[in-house]
Amino acid sequence: MRILVVEDDAELGRRLTERLRAADFAVELATSRADAEDWPDVDRMAAVILDLGLPDGSGLDLLRHWRDRRVETPILILTARGSWQDKVEGLNAGADDFVVKPVRFEELLARLNALFRRQLGTRAATITAGDLALDPLARTAILAGKPLRLSKQEFRLLHLFLRRAGQVLSQTDILDDLYALDDERERNTVEVLIGRLRRKIGRERITTLRGLGYRFDT
Amino acid sequence: MRWLVLGSLRLRFLLALSLWVLLGIAAIWLSAVSIFSSHVEQSYHEELEVHVRELGALTEIASDGSIVLTRPLSDPRYAEPLSGFYWQVTAKGHKPLRSQSMTRGSLDEGIAHSPEILHRLDNGPTGPAITYGFTRKGPAGEDIHFVIATDQRELDRLIGGFTRDLTAWLAGLAALLLATGFAIISFGLRPLDRLSQAFARLRHGDSDELEGQYPAEIAPLAADLNTYARQNEAMVARARVQAGNLAHSLRTPLAIITDEAERLTARDDCKDTGKVLLDQASAMEQQIEYQLARARLGAGRKPAGRGVVLPDVALPILRAMERLHPDKRFTLDTSGLERTVLPLDPVDFAEVLSILLDNAGKWARQEVRLAFACDRAGENTVTIADDGPGIPEAMIPRAFDVGTRFDPDTAGSGLGLAIARDLCDAMGLELGLTNGERGLVATLRIGLGSGR
Repeated sequence: MRILVVEDDAELGRRLTERLRAADFAVELATSRADAEDWPDVDRMAAVILDLGLPDGSGLDLLRHWRDRRVETPILILTARGSWQDKVEGLNAGADDFVVKPVRFEELLARLNALFRRQLGTRAATITAGDLALDPLARTAILAGKPLRLSKQEFRLLHLFLRRAGQVLSQTDILDDLYALDDERERNTVEVLIGRLRRKIGRERITTLRGLGYRFDT
Repeated sequence: MRWLVLGSLRLRFLLALSLWVLLGIAAIWLSAVSIFSSHVEQSYHEELEVHVRELGALTEIASDGSIVLTRPLSDPRYAEPLSGFYWQVTAKGHKPLRSQSMTRGSLDEGIAHSPEILHRLDNGPTGPAITYGFTRKGPAGEDIHFVIATDQRELDRLIGGFTRDLTAWLAGLAALLLATGFAIISFGLRPLDRLSQAFARLRHGDSDELEGQYPAEIAPLAADLNTYARQNEAMVARARVQAGNLAHSLRTPLAIITDEAERLTARDDCKDTGKVLLDQASAMEQQIEYQLARARLGAGRKPAGRGVVLPDVALPILRAMERLHPDKRFTLDTSGLERTVLPLDPVDFAEVLSILLDNAGKWARQEVRLAFACDRAGENTVTIADDGPGIPEAMIPRAFDVGTRFDPDTAGSGLGLAIARDLCDAMGLELGLTNGERGLVATLRIGLGSGR
């Protein structure tokens, strides 16, 4: 899952990126409003973590700019401005959650996952499909009552399939979700990953649609 | 009864005006009565003198020795019985001749003892009378006494009548002067009334400045007050921005320290150091939040020109809460309230409402109900009820303490209610927590004197 972090403080931005990557997210970092405003595929991100106090403009205006352009990506405001006036303004401008710095990383992660769950329309922490269950926060997957041993990328891929079960995902969709823009991408990586995942969860669960992509069948 | 407010300009003008009118009218009354009396007395005496001379000129001693008048006196009142106008002519050896009006009694001829006309107050047939008299020699050399008298009451009646009329007229005039005086004071002080009403609107938050045109004398005062209100508001806004900036400058480094401490905690060799750092960072964060809230509160106390509009103030907060707690239902009940403007700082009030709604949202199972009500005395009550587990009764007093958290797994700093209570204290609101039928109920009482 790709996350865009908009944070002007270089040190905090670096640390946040590191921690999110360690939690299996593909992370992009924008350090100014101008940088973030021109981000090419913000609507394909799994979430945006947005600081309000940016050096070249207000994060709130950036949020409104995105929402005006019908960007529906979940946006979590992570800011040092902690008054309720700021919170109400931020949430009413279209933010999905509002977190005040400093925040424990576990809490930030929990709030992000709550946003993903909300987007999936479920309140449960675990995503299930038949006898397959995945807990994004605990990073565990269970098949027919037994724990699955998955690599980071396999886990991310399964998470993506479960989130968008029944939908056709192109190779680009999958690459976008697995890698940050500046990461090296190779198309055959997707095929290799799908092959490995099929072996672990069962071939029949992922259908290949020639020229279109892949579909996870529940 | 604003005319009777002690120490008011109105009462001061009213007393001065009343005194001025009363003194003026009394002086006019005294002078007029005195001038009129002396004038009337003088013409009365002149008239009597003329009458006694006329009597002298018309009197003759007839050949038979009787005293006769060649014709009646020109004033017919001498012919009317007991009219108060009398004359009498006497001479030794002659039968006295008296006016027809004098059907009884006689006049003392003692006043007529010299050819010069003399007068005095004497007893007449119908009471005290002003008596004029003189003597003239008759054909036989005898003294003929001419006496003419008019009842004193005639003069008194004349003067009394005048005085009564004058008093009535002057009383009317005084009333008219006082009434026009009131009208002038009222008209003159009207700009001050308008200023005071405009100031009340400003303080209640119905307007942002003193509205209206004022006379040259108080226009500078109104302008100064407007400048003061604007400066005050700007100062509050500046203080808030500065508090926000301070928060920003402190929280970002603190976020880095927290992150570093978390990383240390994850390493076996630095676990304890990391934990100490985490705890201290958390304590610092709590202090920053609490002290900043207090600083904002101190800076924003009772600003002029802004007010809380119920129930409008709650609408954006409820929308925000629905996003923040998407799995909870927030309902608003305004059935007990008409649109009201309260003289409270809207930012502070919204902060209290937000804290209480967020708190309820965290604990509610399904629903948070916000209700506004206004009782007959004009006191507004805000209740925020959730359907959560509530708080054990014994713990309620501790709920407002800094750092109290009933469930460490629920996100929060344990500061919200402490900040809400401080804000309420500063605004003069009464904040209470009770366990309701379904869950916890926070009640906010906004008394009539709140925020003033």
